[in-house]
Amino acid sequence: MTGTWSRLLRSTPFRLALTFGFLFMLAFVLSGAIVYQMMSADLAEQLDDTIKETYAVIAATYADSDPKELVETVDSHSMRSPKKEQLFSLTDAAGNRLAGNFTAAGLPDGFSNFGAEMPGLPKGTEYRAYSGAVGGDTLTIAISLSETEELETIMLMSFGWATLIITGLAVTGGALLASRVQRRLDGIAATMVDVSHGRLDARIPLTGKGDDIDIVSSQVNAALDRLSGLVDGMKQVSANIAHDLKTPLNRLQMILEGAADKAAQDRDVAGDLADARAEGHQINETFDALLRIAQIEAGARKARFTDVDLGEILQTIAEIYADVAEDDGKSLSSVELHQTAARIHGDPELLTQMFANLVENALRHCPPGTTIKLSVARQGDRMLAGVADNGPGIPADKRENVFQRLYRLDHSRSTPGSGLGLSLVRAIADLHGASITLEDCQPGLAVVVSFPLAVD
Amino acid sequence: MRLLLVEDDHRTADYIVKGLTEAGHVCDLLRNGHDALFAATSGGYDVIVADRMIPGLDGLSMVKAARAAGVRTPAIFLTSIGGIDDRVEGLEAGGDDYLVKPFAFSELLARIHALGRRPAAQEQKTVLRVGDLEMDLIMRRVTRQGQPIDLQPREFSLLEVLMRGEGRVITRTMLLERVWDFHFDPKTSVVETHISRLRAKIDKPFETQLLHTVRNTGYSLHAPLAP
Repeated sequence: MTGTWSRLLRSTPFRLALTFGFLFMLAFVLSGAIVYQMMSADLAEQLDDTIKETYAVIAATYADSDPKELVETVDSHSMRSPKKEQLFSLTDAAGNRLAGNFTAAGLPDGFSNFGAEMPGLPKGTEYRAYSGAVGGDTLTIAISLSETEELETIMLMSFGWATLIITGLAVTGGALLASRVQRRLDGIAATMVDVSHGRLDARIPLTGKGDDIDIVSSQVNAALDRLSGLVDGMKQVSANIAHDLKTPLNRLQMILEGAADKAAQDRDVAGDLADARAEGHQINETFDALLRIAQIEAGARKARFTDVDLGEILQTIAEIYADVAEDDGKSLSSVELHQTAARIHGDPELLTQMFANLVENALRHCPPGTTIKLSVARQGDRMLAGVADNGPGIPADKRENVFQRLYRLDHSRSTPGSGLGLSLVRAIADLHGASITLEDCQPGLAVVVSFPLAVD
Repeated sequence: MRLLLVEDDHRTADYIVKGLTEAGHVCDLLRNGHDALFAATSGGYDVIVADRMIPGLDGLSMVKAARAAGVRTPAIFLTSIGGIDDRVEGLEAGGDDYLVKPFAFSELLARIHALGRRPAAQEQKTVLRVGDLEMDLIMRRVTRQGQPIDLQPREFSLLEVLMRGEGRVITRTMLLERVWDFHFDPKTSVVETHISRLRAKIDKPFETQLLHTVRNTGYSLHAPLAP
């Protein structure tokens, strides 16, 4: 129980609720005090008015010719207040009571308060009095304060209850709201614990309300998606690397063993050595490509980004590869430039390699007679660079796979290449914040790289 | 040539020293950066070949320090595979060339020759001549036996690189870097295609061959050797 409580006290939502409850209570009590002050002042004023009025009415009955009239009036008023909630007193200059239901002795002229310690008055009652001279005598009117005090007590009581109810509501409501938020935070924490224990498929449950916790949660989920994708990719890649490097390593070993045998028999091993060198070269190239991809993905190159004209880069690529394509029985059409400047922010060296890879890929996988087209076009705030061919294309269900490291379509396993070219393309595109789509040209394949425009 | 090799890996060092000695060069081997810096500043070397990862002072800092001390000896960095930023960093540190390990020995030798015999005066030449082939760098015109040869801009720079390295082997990688500014190995025959086009223009119509293929290494442009 104490554990739950201390946990509740440490929970941010509960603390917030508590703080707001406290602030609200403070405001309520303050405003209550002000209202109470104003009302009691108003009540006192009303009382004074009543006393003064009664005094005026009685005093008005006095006339020099008939002092008896005043005595009678005071007495008749006194008769109407048997419980002594109103007191009347008429005394002469010597302090003797002439009329009324009490003797006001020693009260100053004007308003004053006195307690009921006088004989004949209800004990413990406070009175408000007004004294003044009428003729040669002194007239005093007093009213019990008990009614006013009662009203004030009722007011205080109702404020007290209201405060109590509000406090209760604030604390329980806060605790309720806090525990709801806390449950969701606990859900996030539990998910993260799962993830840190290696369960990468754990996701934070969403309420679907789209509130701020949902937004943060879905962002965390998206990050987890990417992370698990990367980890899956890495596992896949490790397996692929092991497989793809094992084959040439095995071949290398076989060649070397053969060469060793031949050497033992004093036969010429030059051919075997050339083969071994070629295998070694291939293995090194695969590693080289893997390391380059890793370095590009690490993003260090970004520091060297400058403004580059995509059109210029594609123009250069077209110029370099036009003759290569021609010798290969294919044709490479020059760039269709749809605007004069296609400026993006990037690394010209990597971009050149990227488009060279794409063009070489098309050259390698397309039969003679194929036409390869390069194009640059602006579309909204993106710059699209495309390498399109009218070759055999890639089946729709295999298109996403080609960007995986070391992935090769079955029929291309016999052609040379490491299966890393497109992974490198993807890594370079990612570095530039560009997306790659593979489109069906019917027939043929179009690789479209969509770059964000350079910001001026 | 007198060469300074800074390399801590024994096998690689032996391989290089043996090759360079066989090629007729004198090669001093040092295994750490501090000794190498001292040797480099003492002068007397034609080319420095430095591995980037060596004990003590690393190769990059060593060349940087040597440059700061006023040493102008050309330097080649040897870098491990995959270092895409290594080249830029190496050039910024004052290196003149770089070579990615593992490399063919002929590649290193070609690059050492290119650096070691880079005469400052030839850079100023406006006309390059190899045998009866002539290149006017200002008019951007090429003639052989007085006949004008029409070259594409890329073919022109390809020929220029070959002519400037007259008699030396220019490797395929060197050509990729210098002519196409490609710092990766293309999987298609970019170099071969352009060399064959160039050959068709400067050699085919004539009796003697100037542009020679050096098997497994690269190309060399030179006039026929005197019989």
